[in-house]
Amino acid sequence: MTDREQYTPGPARGAQVRKDGEKWTLILVRDLRHSPEKVWQALTDPAHLREWAPFEADGSLGTVGSTVKLTTVGAPTPHVTETRVTRADAPQALEYNWGDHDMRWELQAFPGGTRLTLWTNIGRRFIAMGAAGWHICFDVLERLIAAEPIGRIVGSAAMKFGWQQLNAEYAKQFGMETPDWPSQKGGTN
Amino acid sequence: MKIKVTSLYVHDQDQALRFYTEVLGFAKKTDFSQGPYRWLTVASPEEPDGTELQLALNNNPAAKTYQQAMFQQRQPAAMFFTDDVKGDYERIKARGAEFTMPPTDVTGSTIAMLNDTCGNLIQLTQLAKYSH
Repeated sequence: MTDREQYTPGPARGAQVRKDGEKWTLILVRDLRHSPEKVWQALTDPAHLREWAPFEADGSLGTVGSTVKLTTVGAPTPHVTETRVTRADAPQALEYNWGDHDMRWELQAFPGGTRLTLWTNIGRRFIAMGAAGWHICFDVLERLIAAEPIGRIVGSAAMKFGWQQLNAEYAKQFGMETPDWPSQKGGTN
Repeated sequence: MKIKVTSLYVHDQDQALRFYTEVLGFAKKTDFSQGPYRWLTVASPEEPDGTELQLALNNNPAAKTYQQAMFQQRQPAAMFFTDDVKGDYERIKARGAEFTMPPTDVTGSTIAMLNDTCGNLIQLTQLAKYSH
């Protein structure tokens, strides 16, 4: 079996939700055993993003003020949004938007690694889905930075790698009802 | 092959979901998001596994131009069939919808037209029944 076939996500962990009025924010934290410089490259370079992120970028996200087109990968119909990078303090802080989602990344060095934190606003009913999707993306990111890439796992591909289970676990952790989609009959594991 | 889903552009998916469920009386079928992309469909409670109507966010300038032009020409963006157009007209009107055409006899059917508040005109159609 290849490394990709062997991949399974661990249990739901490292995610919190915050509610300010009607605005919900998903906060994801992941400790990576790599330098902030390496993590920064994976977050900003289109060739690296292609290996793990849920979107394609047509330019670098590493320059403040630049405009980049982000194409959602795996959407049933083509979906492109234009973003402007509003903060790019390499290798510490990165901010842009993905459609109506604000994306704020923080890279905090610790001995032997980087604590990566993502804040993103997302509708309440989609928070567990988002946490599950980003969980798998972060796993793939971790392997990419370790120079053991297993290839992007987003959209329907994530269904084959335990996304439904994660979705249910995060919903439970957040004290929310398990989303009713996808239906049981559509699952593959 | 089957015709399983048909799509309608709407300028606000939350507003559309409210209108198509609470005002028109359809039921939410699928609501799934992948990043900023949201796949949202409704179905008729009379036919829960029937054709779904996708309420797609209209963030496409070409589609917006088309949608506005069709609206101005009073062309319906979708057509729903009913066995009781007058009853539906009264029911939907009572829930606050604006009709641009009350039930009107035309060739072979009775039709009514309403504004879905999301950029579209919707036609309700009741086919005339002829005796042999």
